[in-house]
Amino acid sequence: MAVLGIPILEDLYPSTMDMWPLEAKEFNRSWQFYENLKAGRLTTTKCKSCGHVAYPPRVICPECYSEDLEYTDLPTKGKVIVFSEEVKGVPLGFDSPLIHAVVDLGVDPARRVLTRIVNCAAGTLKQGDEVQLAVFPVPALPIDKGKQGTIMSERVFFAFEPVKK
Amino acid sequence: MARNAVILAGGQCKWGVREAHIVDLFQEAAKACLDDVPNLKPKDIDGLIVATSYAGRCSFQVNTAPVIAERCGLKPTSICTRCDTLCAGGSTAIILAKGLVEAGAADIVMAAGGEKLYTPQKWEVFYSELASVDHDWDGVHGMGLPPPFFALTAQEHMMHYGTKKEDLAAVSVANYNYAATNPVAQMQKALTLEEAMGAPIVVPPLTLYDCCPITDGAAACIITTEEIARKFTDRPLVYIRGTAQTCLNSVSANFPGAHLADWKHTRIAAEKAYGRAKVSASDIKVAQTHDCFSISEVIEVEELGFCKKGEGGEFCRSKQIEIGGKVPVNTDGGLLAVGHPFGATGIRQGTEIMKQLQGRARHQVKDADIGLTHNLSGANAEHTILVYGRTPVK
Repeated sequence: MAVLGIPILEDLYPSTMDMWPLEAKEFNRSWQFYENLKAGRLTTTKCKSCGHVAYPPRVICPECYSEDLEYTDLPTKGKVIVFSEEVKGVPLGFDSPLIHAVVDLGVDPARRVLTRIVNCAAGTLKQGDEVQLAVFPVPALPIDKGKQGTIMSERVFFAFEPVKK
Repeated sequence: MARNAVILAGGQCKWGVREAHIVDLFQEAAKACLDDVPNLKPKDIDGLIVATSYAGRCSFQVNTAPVIAERCGLKPTSICTRCDTLCAGGSTAIILAKGLVEAGAADIVMAAGGEKLYTPQKWEVFYSELASVDHDWDGVHGMGLPPPFFALTAQEHMMHYGTKKEDLAAVSVANYNYAATNPVAQMQKALTLEEAMGAPIVVPPLTLYDCCPITDGAAACIITTEEIARKFTDRPLVYIRGTAQTCLNSVSANFPGAHLADWKHTRIAAEKAYGRAKVSASDIKVAQTHDCFSISEVIEVEELGFCKKGEGGEFCRSKQIEIGGKVPVNTDGGLLAVGHPFGATGIRQGTEIMKQLQGRARHQVKDADIGLTHNLSGANAEHTILVYGRTPVK
């Protein structure tokens, strides 16, 4: 399909206009975060030298600069501290209502994680509500592999959703 | 002898929805700047620092400094570069220019900032704004456009300090009324409290006049030494006495305060800037703070020390931010009404403080001798403060 006004971009993928992270191993050393998401796990990196847990994941420990890191699980349930709802004028790529919440996952460094809340009707969320991790597919990343052609690298992303009572 | 940096001249083009290319806006701003001190000519300028964040995305142009230099007839021989700190870009350019002229690495530097944000398709600027915050961790949640983030901030200020919607509306009214007679402002209309209170909802509790508009525009100013400035002007000199730029986080999950209405990084930046400027909060006679949202100004007057923490709403509602109040704030109309082309804002603010300290502002604060500018940028991730004065610090 041609891009309006730019016919030369027919069937080409411009990563500069991709709203999702370049999650594939070829482009991101934090690829394991996204692989863990596919398994329903919310993870981040922990330093094996000094024990510091950083969010979001790193390739060096921000405290001691060690490269010896491992992935550790964060809780997948938390409580809404405060939230906002945008009903009109939601930007391209998002559905109305666009709900944002600061969520307390109960452990450092995830006491105040800002996330989107999905699967939630406008006007129904309340402060203190319990929410859980929601992983959803996003469009696959087309990677040009030269002679092998273009491969499609599967991608997911996450938000949180109300826990059904 | 110490070289003390001064702001010699400043100007901006008409801000708003502009039928113009980004290089047109910079040319208009450069002219407005040099028109401010007619003795100064393009050939006198040996340095250029450009502040723009969205030229790369919205105008398909990186390495902007040589492009802007050429279009503006400048041939810098000491420095020609660009900085990108989004909303603080213009202030950053001034800080860098001060350092360069005081170090003797440049003599007369133009700090010029601007953005062209309205593109032929309306969706694109909103989509591109996902890059304004940490893209993969906040932008990807639809946090690029800031109203949701500052709606959360306003809610937490209301929860912890009892701030009311009327307090926010008082900021909008003050700043719109300052801009009503400003010919280069995007919004040139007087606003009543009733209009502000009854405005359409954006993201609760924020309504239309609580949010700054999206703006095309540019501004430019000249930073040089006091000795050089004396050759070009008889006006009182305005010194850049002290500056600070504080960044403690980028991803919102690592916000440094106890909650979104507790701006620890602003306090640190203020303490550093006041210390370097050898002033205290009570010395500030006029301020241009980063009113990207009405709630921002409420929190800024607290964290900058103009009132106690939690009393910003009352401070604004009781007209302490207006002429005759304790610290008049955003006397040209601020981001809310003049607009906010990111890289240009700090230069607009510095220019207004220069005019206030020279006694030639549109809404003049009597006997203003010390003034301040403040920016926040990203998802409230960085704070930038400059203190200006009628006398040098050293």
